Amino acid sequence: MNILVYGLINSLLLVLMALGFALAYSVSRVPNFTHGALYVLTGYLTWVFLNRLGLNYGLCIILSIASVTAMGWLIYQLTVIRVRGMPTSEIIVTFAISLAILEFLRWRGLRGATYVLPVFHLSTIHIYGVPVDAQRIIAVVITAVIVLALWLFTHYTKVGLGLRAIAQNERAALLLGIDSDRAATLALSLGSALAAIAAITILPMGNINVATGYDVLVSAIAVCICGGLGSWTGTILAGFVIGFAQMIVVYFIAPHLAMVVALAAVILILIFKPSGLFGRQKELEERV
Amino acid sequence: MKKILALVISLSFVLLTAIADAKPIVIGVATDTQILDGFATIRGLNLAVEEINSAGGINVKGEKRPFKVEIMDTRDCEPGVPVSEALLVLEKIILDKGADFIIGPGRSEAALAALGLIANYKKIQLLTCGGLSPKFHGTIAENYDKYKYAFRITGESRYMVEEAMDLLGGLNSKYGINRMFVIVEDVAFARAGGEIASENLKKKGWEILGYERYPAGTSDFSAGLLKAKDAKAQILFVMGEMAELSILINQWNDMKIPALPFGNYLGPAMEPKFWQVTKGRAAYTIVNLVNAGNAPSNATPWTMKFCKAYEKKYGTEPEGYGTSSGYMAPYIIKDAVERAGTLDPDALVTAMEKTNLVGVYGRVRFDPKSHQIIPQLDPEKGAVGTIFQWQDGKRVVVYPPKIAMGEVKFPPWMMEYWKIKKK
Repeated sequence: MNILVYGLINSLLLVLMALGFALAYSVSRVPNFTHGALYVLTGYLTWVFLNRLGLNYGLCIILSIASVTAMGWLIYQLTVIRVRGMPTSEIIVTFAISLAILEFLRWRGLRGATYVLPVFHLSTIHIYGVPVDAQRIIAVVITAVIVLALWLFTHYTKVGLGLRAIAQNERAALLLGIDSDRAATLALSLGSALAAIAAITILPMGNINVATGYDVLVSAIAVCICGGLGSWTGTILAGFVIGFAQMIVVYFIAPHLAMVVALAAVILILIFKPSGLFGRQKELEERV
Repeated sequence: MKKILALVISLSFVLLTAIADAKPIVIGVATDTQILDGFATIRGLNLAVEEINSAGGINVKGEKRPFKVEIMDTRDCEPGVPVSEALLVLEKIILDKGADFIIGPGRSEAALAALGLIANYKKIQLLTCGGLSPKFHGTIAENYDKYKYAFRITGESRYMVEEAMDLLGGLNSKYGINRMFVIVEDVAFARAGGEIASENLKKKGWEILGYERYPAGTSDFSAGLLKAKDAKAQILFVMGEMAELSILINQWNDMKIPALPFGNYLGPAMEPKFWQVTKGRAAYTIVNLVNAGNAPSNATPWTMKFCKAYEKKYGTEPEGYGTSSGYMAPYIIKDAVERAGTLDPDALVTAMEKTNLVGVYGRVRFDPKSHQIIPQLDPEKGAVGTIFQWQDGKRVVVYPPKIAMGEVKFPPWMMEYWKIKKK
């Protein structure tokens, strides 16, 4: 029961971490390597607003999410748009920005165990005898709400349908008058907002440190590659596969192999099904 | 009166000018400045340097010379332990910054790799924190002629485990506690500490119920904690310095695991701010601070004097491992240089080996072969450790008995679960 409960929780946390990356890539085809950096930046900004400016926690969260969303917009408009369509350059640019953000935070003194955010509720809930802290339960609920909200957005709103159209077939969408760059900007901004929401939800369980930025990026990429770049269903499913696989390895083999599971999953997928579980990029090559 | 005052002022001016003009003795600090051990060491060291310089500096055969501190970040405590980067920094601090003495690096892997480099440049190295692996001083003893320039002025994991055995043995005699689960960070010193503790306690009749290694970056310790609970552990033996160990303590408290966390080196839990950071969930956590002086106690007359000076300068109690040893490093160097009368490395090695100085954490003496500071339970005889427990927001020293300021307490859910009573 321990494995089921915590496997489910950790899987959903992986999904929450990866959603922003998946959304940005599926629409804009830009692998947003600033994803992890924006995650940590959100935590840091929230901490600063709370501890240095003394603002209300709710207001801090809103301001941080808004700031990071704006940052996602800026990153696309000022840099990525110039190299869009050149995959290597996109990776270099976004990764460079990621390094700049994370190392700036390191230089500003983001270190040690003392940069923490308060949990939303300090209590423990027992699920079939398994104790779980309330923050994890809240994170699970938020993940479910985000997934549902994204689904509703992309199926029942004009803007969301436009994003789906670009994700499915950019040229056809252009023919129908959907602005590709505008859609890409929106996708990156929304992706950044999702990274921020993930940060606000998950970081209170631990502490804010620079290394987390790299870990989150690796986890998000692993989940998205396994699920299929561009597929949101695949992302969710891959989150569960990797989350449970990690939990089983941690429980029955060794905890220090948890990250190996994610990376091994990437390698196996790239060997046996490069398009991912639900992806379509390399479908033609795979068939041939 | 006016003439005397004028004379005093002139002499002070001359003295200060002489010190200002004198070539400084450079202490090169090559350590991970991003972690507690690193920046606590630097703060302790800077405090000592300030005191020594304002008292006139170091007397090198009649010439007064000040200390100068050069700091470079090795980042050696990052995930994956980038040893090669640490060595590059070490070389740079020697060649570019002209360091006469080296402090660091911290991580055992980097400290061991640095021995060769230090030997090539013949620089006196003082390990003030980190490098807890017994292999460090073991390597010096095995290759004395090559590695004699390195000294460790702080504890090491084998002795820390002996202290832990002693304290745990006491809990066994008093309360009948003898079941332990081990959770360590996946780095050399922590693995070694966990293994040594397990072996030693098994020989004393303890049941070791599990051993798990978690890498830096872990955000969920539920598997290990629930295993410990299912196995009915009474002590959770923790070793590591990654910031994520605060998550372990939070989860331990949230889950009300009926085992007492014993951090035989638990990095984040050392800091005075840890109570506030965990919103009190750190209560009952026991932490080994390695050297006395890293939390207030009356180990020696100098200990509280140091704690108060530190608090006055930095607005906080000494912050954790590295603070008191970082503070003592310049004093140990000063003592050795003044006795040797030279900065010649071979002469300094001989002088360092003859060190006999009562400092912040007891008497500082070195084993002549391994250059490991000699530990004792009595501060008059050797370097004394400190183990404290978080109680009501305070770091209460509970070991060694000579300097203890309180007793070990158990969380109420553990007392109820195990029906704990004194024997």
